[in-house]
Amino acid sequence: MHRLYSIMSALMLISALSFAQAKRISGKVTDSKNGNELPGVTVKVKGTNTGTITQVNGNYELSIPGNATTLIFSFLGYADQEIEIGGRQSINVALGNGTKDISEVVVVGYGSQNKRELTGSVTKIAAKEIANQPVSSFESSIQGKAPGVVIESGSGKLGQGMKIRIRGTSSISASSQPLYVIDGMPVMSASMSTTDNDPTNPLVDINPNDIESVEILKDASAAAIYGARAANGVVLITTKKGKVGEGTRIELNINSSIAKPTMRRKFLDAQQYVTLIEETAVNDGKYDFAHQISGFATEAAAINYYKNRVEKRMTTLAGGNGWRTNAINTDWQDEEFRQTAHTNQIDLSATGGNEKTKYFASGSYSDQEAIVIVNRFKRYGARLNLEHTANSKLSFGVNMGITRSELNRISNDNAFSTPGQLVAQVPISRPYDSLGNPNPNTLYYNGLISKKYEYNRQVSFRTIGNAFLNYYFIPSLSFRSELGTDIYALNEDFYQGKQTQDGGGIGRGGNNITQNVILNTNNYFTFTPHINDSHNLSAVLGMSYLQNDQRGNSVSGENFPSDAVKNLGGAGTITGGSSNEQRYTFLSYFLRGNYNYKSKYLASFSIRTDGSSRFGPKNRYGWFPAGSLGWVLTEENFLKKSKVLNLLKIRASYGKTGNAEIGENNYYTLLSVTNYPMLPGFAPTQLGDPSLHWESTAQTDAGVEFGFFDNRLSGEIDYYNKQTSDLLLKTNVPLSSGFGSIYRNVGSMENKGIEILLNSKNIQTKQFTWTTSLNLAYNKNNVKSINGQIIESGVQRAVEGQPIGVFYMQRYAGVDPSNGDALYYTKDGKKTNDYTQADRGVVGKSNPDWTGGFTNTFSYKGIDLSIFFTFVQGNQIFNQAGQYQSVGFGGGYDNQTIDQMNRWQKPGDVTNVPRLSHFFGNGNQYPSSQWIYDGSYIRLKQLTLGYNLPKSVLSTVKLNSARIFLAGYNLWTQTKYISDPEVNTNTLGNISGGLDFYTVPQAKTVTVGLNVKF
Amino acid sequence: MKPITKYISYILLPAMLAFTCACNKKLDVKPGQQISPEQIQTEDDVKAILLSGYNSLQDPSAFGERYIFLSDLLADAGFITYQGTFLNYTQVNNRQMQKSGSIPSDVWGRGYVTINTANIVLANLDKVSDANKATLAAEAKFLRAITYYELAGFYGLPYSAGNVDQNLAVPLVTTAIISPANLPASKQPRATVAAIYTQIIADLQEAATNLPDSYSEKKNKSRGTKYSAYAFLSRVYMAQHNYVEAAKAADKVIQSGNYALVASFDAEFNNTALSAEDIFAIVQTSQSNAGTSNNGLVTFYALDQRNDVTISPNQIAQYDAGDQRGKFYNYSSDSSSITTSKWRDLYGTIPVVRLAEMYLTRAEANLRAGTAVGDDPLNDVNLVRNRSKATPLAAVTPDDVVQERRLELAFEGDNFWIVKRLQLNVGNLKYNDNMLVFPIPQREIDVNSSLVQNPGY
Repeated sequence: MHRLYSIMSALMLISALSFAQAKRISGKVTDSKNGNELPGVTVKVKGTNTGTITQVNGNYELSIPGNATTLIFSFLGYADQEIEIGGRQSINVALGNGTKDISEVVVVGYGSQNKRELTGSVTKIAAKEIANQPVSSFESSIQGKAPGVVIESGSGKLGQGMKIRIRGTSSISASSQPLYVIDGMPVMSASMSTTDNDPTNPLVDINPNDIESVEILKDASAAAIYGARAANGVVLITTKKGKVGEGTRIELNINSSIAKPTMRRKFLDAQQYVTLIEETAVNDGKYDFAHQISGFATEAAAINYYKNRVEKRMTTLAGGNGWRTNAINTDWQDEEFRQTAHTNQIDLSATGGNEKTKYFASGSYSDQEAIVIVNRFKRYGARLNLEHTANSKLSFGVNMGITRSELNRISNDNAFSTPGQLVAQVPISRPYDSLGNPNPNTLYYNGLISKKYEYNRQVSFRTIGNAFLNYYFIPSLSFRSELGTDIYALNEDFYQGKQTQDGGGIGRGGNNITQNVILNTNNYFTFTPHINDSHNLSAVLGMSYLQNDQRGNSVSGENFPSDAVKNLGGAGTITGGSSNEQRYTFLSYFLRGNYNYKSKYLASFSIRTDGSSRFGPKNRYGWFPAGSLGWVLTEENFLKKSKVLNLLKIRASYGKTGNAEIGENNYYTLLSVTNYPMLPGFAPTQLGDPSLHWESTAQTDAGVEFGFFDNRLSGEIDYYNKQTSDLLLKTNVPLSSGFGSIYRNVGSMENKGIEILLNSKNIQTKQFTWTTSLNLAYNKNNVKSINGQIIESGVQRAVEGQPIGVFYMQRYAGVDPSNGDALYYTKDGKKTNDYTQADRGVVGKSNPDWTGGFTNTFSYKGIDLSIFFTFVQGNQIFNQAGQYQSVGFGGGYDNQTIDQMNRWQKPGDVTNVPRLSHFFGNGNQYPSSQWIYDGSYIRLKQLTLGYNLPKSVLSTVKLNSARIFLAGYNLWTQTKYISDPEVNTNTLGNISGGLDFYTVPQAKTVTVGLNVKF
Repeated sequence: MKPITKYISYILLPAMLAFTCACNKKLDVKPGQQISPEQIQTEDDVKAILLSGYNSLQDPSAFGERYIFLSDLLADAGFITYQGTFLNYTQVNNRQMQKSGSIPSDVWGRGYVTINTANIVLANLDKVSDANKATLAAEAKFLRAITYYELAGFYGLPYSAGNVDQNLAVPLVTTAIISPANLPASKQPRATVAAIYTQIIADLQEAATNLPDSYSEKKNKSRGTKYSAYAFLSRVYMAQHNYVEAAKAADKVIQSGNYALVASFDAEFNNTALSAEDIFAIVQTSQSNAGTSNNGLVTFYALDQRNDVTISPNQIAQYDAGDQRGKFYNYSSDSSSITTSKWRDLYGTIPVVRLAEMYLTRAEANLRAGTAVGDDPLNDVNLVRNRSKATPLAAVTPDDVVQERRLELAFEGDNFWIVKRLQLNVGNLKYNDNMLVFPIPQREIDVNSSLVQNPGY
């Protein structure tokens, strides 16, 4: 009780001090370099303890004693400034001369913090790393730039879902994608498109040029403020805001690109194809006779039979005898890819503001062609970010972006109609007939028919925006309220003409409309009391509510009289119509306190509780605490004077985060509507565990940050240990129950790793600078326990004691030199040519051990050059199409890869490629490690050469700055894989990855661009 | 300034509190388009669950495709060629099924969905009026029995193999699984062939007793009746070599007068509703069907669809010159592909049991039992032959009737059952060869250790 009184009297004293004094002074502190507001700057009356700290918007307000003469502004990394007060009541200050890179402001959840005082692990990616690239979504631009963040685009198709793993995969059945937050509002980031094609990426609706920075919250200390949704990490996107000073700045960006595939596969040409197919017939004849399968009298008769059979087929496929004379020699990859794919982007923005009002406005247009035919992406949109300061207490504003995106799609990789599968066609078939129509008489359905008579298009309209209000009760206590929305309307339509395979001779079409609306509000207090110079405290307390409503309608039809009307108005029969709606909600409260003693000893604690509609009433709420400590050794006296060491900070954190990304209603047992003709019913479809709750991840992180030699060499190293328990696991139940699986909180897995970031300013003269940046990350995943279950996804599985997604299949043992049979290892290590006797085992894994990026930047006068490599190491790729295309015609007459030229031909041949055989393949057309490859690669991800026009030229044309640049992407790749190593046909899977199935390779792009500031 | 500060905090804090309380209720979100078991409350709800059983039978892993297609693929002796790219069907055709394959697990799983649906109906009879209780129960048991008959035939040795008290069929689950607490009831060992057959016969007999003779409303025509139960009973008795009862059951159907052979053979197939000849059939529409691109009988068989199955000229050579059934085939433009016209048009009705089979069953059963229930076997066979303008036979042996079944019921899924019950060979494989029995799905053994795998897998 006594203590309470003393606290109360202390509080009264503070308020008495705050309000009793005569003179008040206020103002704003900005960065002299770029006009950014600087929060956290210490403002002190010289010679006293009176002082305060600037707020998030850089504003400060201070009551000063009547005899005060000078204010001192100090901020880490910036030079202190002393300003005479004179008679002024308002003093604005621009701080400069800092070594900015170690004292930058980092956006964290519900606030921002000085990087130097941060005790969590956060990677910040700045605008210049993201803008003006020939990509449809910003994640592509940050690939390889943040240690521990693995980004896979899966293929060279545009607009597809991207797999993002922050510090490894931490779930098996729930999503392992991070949470995306734009300007404080969680946004929808999971694909809303139909499940019969690849998932698409809703984040393409964000114009990368509007992004000011991307902060990736990696450890529990940073992420736990997002509680139940933070186990996979959080990606905070901050859009560009208006800036005070210098009037209106207009910026124009134009760029244009051409692209081709990074590499083309090598397949047999017509001559090689014919040679090998003839050899196949001879082999099969010999085999048949030797094994007396069909009872031929002589070997010659047997060979003759198979030759006739094969040649008859060749004649059909070539539409005549052209195959014998090499008259036809089609490289189907010429048809799969565009000659050159073009991308054009233009972006215009205006930034400006005064003391009262600041704005950022932009408009953009992007038109991108994929390297593969048909696939094309267009986006246009606009953004307005506005903030108005009504008075020293109140400011408010809106951040709003609207976009329309259009994506012309191709089928998924597992469809005859997809351009990627054109390579299965034989080189002796023509792609088009003499009239220029797609040749219908090909080995498989000719995907070029789909190019001509089919379309699949999705258009999305997106509005992401929020309105906010800041109110300063007193300078040290503010309240912020944000009300945001993410309105997404997706319209998908497809048409398959009669001529197409899926059109089934009658023509089919469909239309799906999906609307997803997120309503989100954040309301929180920020308290930054000024106690004295030594003790710095800030606290955040608030709540958040999110409501997501999804509604959809879909209609499909068939029997189109002709291709004239392609929408469903042209369908003779409507074959399906349905609608659906579903909501989910999250209600959360959070508290965070940051404390530091003389910026030397740092501590942070946060706790969040989340309630979600995804779990039953008894298990709805989860608690997610986190704490961290830091020690800036260079603030200690014994190091303060060090000339070598500028910064040495050690920090450690521990905390708990959750994952609830399993979709809706999974704790319910459910019956669903069935539509048997005229007899509608309810069928049992889902078994639910009412005690279902969060999957939780406890993460320990220990890190060190350092800067040497005037910060010429700086960096940070982190170790983490993520333990995920109570996995939301889709566990198998006996099918004899009438159900297949149930979500249960079962099992645990872990990710451990290290992350290293090094920045070096190698040469820094007035004329010439050379900087190097290296990031490296190692992650080791281990499925610790899943109740003894084995969860399979094709040839991959999650199994206890192994990293998730190991390839599990028959182990290939090469070729028997005596007869050319494919051999496999049996359980006891012997070799067998009987596939059914082969033993299955772990033959690789799809997730890399090491990932990273390496950048060198040079600048000389107005010229800048940046060279950026990315690499992954330690993963394997399974060419799933190998069982059709690298199998000596075992699976069919498919054209084969060039390695088949090394086939076994006669007894004694030592090779890894079995005997060619169409009719008597010995099992090598089934999955085996024969098609497992090392997936490691290093790639020149980006090479940029820029030239800034000199000021002398600019002033004559009245420009502030102008830069022209030439950039190349994926120009060079070193890999042992036979195609592009950045490949994954199952784009987003937790278990599946590293699968190539006729997958479109990545693009190699050359961009020219212009950036002008008026 | 102070009063304003206070004022605002007085407003804001309570507002926040009120808002959060209101939000708390917002966490109660009901499923958008499904119901939970607590919502099963009325007779209509129970009936709706029952009717979903027919949807389950329409599934491609039931009568919609696989009960029929797989039995012809697995037991084919050279009359069809499977040339599709789907590896799982190739494995069935080559008798190289994998225990981890999708087909063994899909067919198993779908069967138990139907069975559980029936069990849920039986567990909720307390919500049904007394007047309708027996009928609804009978209908549920009909669905359950015919599914057990199919599963027992695919996953176990046939009844004809004897040793029925030891040979294992499939787990016999007769209680409803509607919450995780019920799961232990599904973890059962495989019941013996005898136990399964006892259950099937009991269920079908109850169905034959309590189901209506027929339905007058068009929408109900596809539901099970007294005579669909008898028709399946005749199949079960044939499998047991209980020819006396088989003849009687088939005779009940024929004598009912509810069915008639359609005038022309081709009128029996590709219909939009049940024909006069259909005793039990699966109906399909463009909105409700077993598949149009990767599943469905038409998908695999039809010339203008995947055309994965072609028919050998040997099949056609079996028919008389005048036999309309021999002309019920389609030829590709270069005559290289022959397909059956039975599965020609999308969304056609799939006959499951039709009257012609009952005549042939009665004939064969009478011949084998030495009885003369209903009519003379020769008359029965010739009745079927005459409809298709085939030359009438002068005399008939049991084997003749079996051959007649093959001609009449080709590609309707009868072949497998003939082979199994009469202990015939498929190529050089004996009827009880390991590879002619489906493997128990490996994923099922993984979660139910009391299951024993079939030999050979």
